[in-house]
Amino acid sequence: MNRNIWWKVALIIGLMVLFIAPLVPRRKNEERIPLGLDLKGGTQLVMQVNTGDAVRAEIDQAMEFFKGQVTKQSLPAAVVRRESPLSFVAIPQGGASANDYEKVGRDWLGQFDVSQQPQGVLFTIKDVGRSQLEDDTVNQAMETIRNRVDALGVTEPVIARQGGARGKNIVIQLPGVDDPARVKEIIKTTAQLQFRIVEEIAPGQAATGSDAQALLQSLPANLRNEVEILPGDSQDAFGRVSGKMYYAVKKSVPVTGRDLKTARVSKGRLGEPIISFSLTPDGGRKFAALTGANINRGLAIVLDNKVKSAPNINSQIEDQGIIEGRFTQQEASDLSLILRSGALPASMTTLEERTVGPSLGNDSIRAGVTAALIGFALLIITVILYYRGAGINAVIALFLNLIILLGMMAYFRATLTLPGIAGIILTLGMAIDSNVLVFERIREELRDGKTVRAAIDNGFTRAFGTIIDTHLTTIISALFLFQFGTGPIKGFAVTLLIGLGASVFTAFFVSRVIFDITYRPVDRPQQISI
Amino acid sequence: MQIFVNPNYDFVKWRFHAVAFSAFIILLGLGMYLTRGLRMGIDFSGGANVVLKFREQVPFDALRSQIANASVQRYGKAEENAVLIRLPKQGSEGDYAGQLVQRLNVSLNPESATKHDLNYQGRDTLAEILKNADPDRKGTGPAAHDYYYTMAQSVISRRSELGLFSNMSQVTSAPGVSSSAGKVISEKAFLGKFNVLNQESVGPQVGKELQQKAIWAVILSTIAMGIYITFRFDLGFGIAAMICIVHDVLIALAFLVLIRGEFSLNIVAALLLIVGYSVNDTVVTYDRVRENARKLKARVPFGEQLNNAMNQTLSRTILTSGSVILVLISLVVFGGKVIHEFSLVLLVGVLSGTYSTLMIVPAVAVAWEEYVSKRRGGKAPRRAEANRSEPLPRKPAPERAKRA
Repeated sequence: MNRNIWWKVALIIGLMVLFIAPLVPRRKNEERIPLGLDLKGGTQLVMQVNTGDAVRAEIDQAMEFFKGQVTKQSLPAAVVRRESPLSFVAIPQGGASANDYEKVGRDWLGQFDVSQQPQGVLFTIKDVGRSQLEDDTVNQAMETIRNRVDALGVTEPVIARQGGARGKNIVIQLPGVDDPARVKEIIKTTAQLQFRIVEEIAPGQAATGSDAQALLQSLPANLRNEVEILPGDSQDAFGRVSGKMYYAVKKSVPVTGRDLKTARVSKGRLGEPIISFSLTPDGGRKFAALTGANINRGLAIVLDNKVKSAPNINSQIEDQGIIEGRFTQQEASDLSLILRSGALPASMTTLEERTVGPSLGNDSIRAGVTAALIGFALLIITVILYYRGAGINAVIALFLNLIILLGMMAYFRATLTLPGIAGIILTLGMAIDSNVLVFERIREELRDGKTVRAAIDNGFTRAFGTIIDTHLTTIISALFLFQFGTGPIKGFAVTLLIGLGASVFTAFFVSRVIFDITYRPVDRPQQISI
Repeated sequence: MQIFVNPNYDFVKWRFHAVAFSAFIILLGLGMYLTRGLRMGIDFSGGANVVLKFREQVPFDALRSQIANASVQRYGKAEENAVLIRLPKQGSEGDYAGQLVQRLNVSLNPESATKHDLNYQGRDTLAEILKNADPDRKGTGPAAHDYYYTMAQSVISRRSELGLFSNMSQVTSAPGVSSSAGKVISEKAFLGKFNVLNQESVGPQVGKELQQKAIWAVILSTIAMGIYITFRFDLGFGIAAMICIVHDVLIALAFLVLIRGEFSLNIVAALLLIVGYSVNDTVVTYDRVRENARKLKARVPFGEQLNNAMNQTLSRTILTSGSVILVLISLVVFGGKVIHEFSLVLLVGVLSGTYSTLMIVPAVAVAWEEYVSKRRGGKAPRRAEANRSEPLPRKPAPERAKRA
């Protein structure tokens, strides 16, 4: 019996060491329990990846590819147009038949369903291909966001996909961000960089103008389908932005941001910030071919469908270049960061955004901790006043409960939030319930004339079932809470679950051991302080 | 110490008064809900909340004229110079709060076009400015970057401590800021009129999803509780427990409407906890009824059994709820604005849970027993058989109790 008790004591001490260990900071100021955004300050974003963009781009590419293949097969050039967000139609021209096109499609565009329709040969992207593409798009977006966030130097960011494997939403948590507006801008910028050739109205006259419609009309009819009108800023003689200007640029995009090797900020002729970039070897070859074939024409540098600048190509350029765009220092360094980390495969929509400033977080910590400490003190005073000796027993159990709770949170790196702090103190309030149930039972047994030892034994065994029931009901609702909650609420559910689990152990095992030590059966105790 | 020495209250006798009282409160809440409605937090309705802290008095008029259809109200005490701006539900998805703040920044801080706003922008931007000006002659290498970055970091930490800078000397006196750097900061930066304490935007899609999830979470957890109690005890207790939970949740909601509180994610968390916790006392009582039933030699009316069990467990019920109520009071008083309504609703829910255990459970459980015994006709059920000799008013019971 005696030996048995010391084994139990050793077990309790061992467990305490186990749970205190993860709480000891290994470095100065280290947070052993990570603080949630509501306490630390920071930004949480839920972004939807508009995967439709990627599908559209895929179809655009397939259309270009199809036209190229048709020409390669020495068939008359095809007229191709988009039919729906998921399909395009090729209308046979000249001597080509629908069957010829269908064959080209079946041979070269495996990811499309090909069928002959009254309006032409219809190419519809296959469901499997589309969902694969959407999935890839979301993954790629996450990868890009991760690169950007890392480049910003945010510590312990969370970037996760929401809504399972099929989900199109990305949750981004950025603790400690001090300039949310800038960070959001950096994350959200699609950064689709393109190098395209500015069309000419007549030889030597670049197709630009202040009115988009008029510009399109001024082009020869055969070119109108081959160009895209993109906006940009116009400049006055001093290089200041003076208004809007439109550029007619060729539809084909031979070189994109994917061909970039690196980008960095440097200084222009007047000391203004510009971005200089270099291209990958493959990109360099393409760039050289593009610039070599278009000397004396305008090279439009297009970022997210806006022309940033359109310098004249004076000679063939190999693999280096600059982007001028009247940037501020900050804009230039942000843009070069974005370009280095790659483009997003699709645009994103903000569904939810929450930012907590660090000073509000500090206030919350202060208030939460004060409330918890006072609540804890009230509990201790009440329980000792009411149960005296046994009350001290309960308080010890309560402390162990707290240690287990915090230790577990540190061990699993569970985030502590403001509702989580409330959850901790609430759990302790509920943990006392188990002690109350046992103690009241012991009192009852004593009133029935049982001996102290018998009362203790009965008290524990008889209250056991009840305590399990009360814990299980609360645990069930905490599980629902966990399932339902996001961020702070999840933190609340986690503290409840751990704390309730721990309280079964402390109220039964620990409290029992303390009773067994203070009222040893061999002493045949006559009195108990309860 | 002991609070109840051999209590002997007739809870069963007062059950109809209790049902009437609860019904009154719930109907009152319902009436107020129908007339004034329940304020939905942006988590559910969608929209935006922005809390700004100003250096000087909040320019309410400027804010109100700037932002159409927003509500602009004081946040906290007047001397805190903080303001809460709410934008209603928006038609499309987007970062409304961020856009609003940016717009306000442009209009209230005209200097921001050319200068760095120390109260709004972050360390990277400041470090960049310092690095470019290089007041301490550190050159352009990584060492210079680290030097100025650390300096900017120190300025921003100072801002986090203070909430916001109210004069430039607070900036230049931050640890690590050299006097020449301080000069650069005073030249190239200014103190914006406000700092963002908190900003949230929730788009219509998320709001709608959360609303549905919240309702289901409360309903399903209530049913789960009923199933658990049915499984551990019997159907009558299961139903009584569920009715109690619904009762407590309704009382808590009525309270929320009464104080013109806002239905938010935190409130749903409070409701879910009420669901789990309010049955605890009930379970303790049921356990005792069952334990007593095993020991019974003579047949005792069910109402009396229940009464006995409740009196025996009365101190437990009061003490267990009491401990939680103690910490909740502490949370209400000291826990701060963010969780104030959460703690209040939880407090009311726990109080209601204790009340319903003592007053509503008897009504439901006794009504159920009577209903069962009536349906079985001559066949005497296990526990309710002795109801025949029960001294309580029987006739109106089933009908009235069903409404509870």
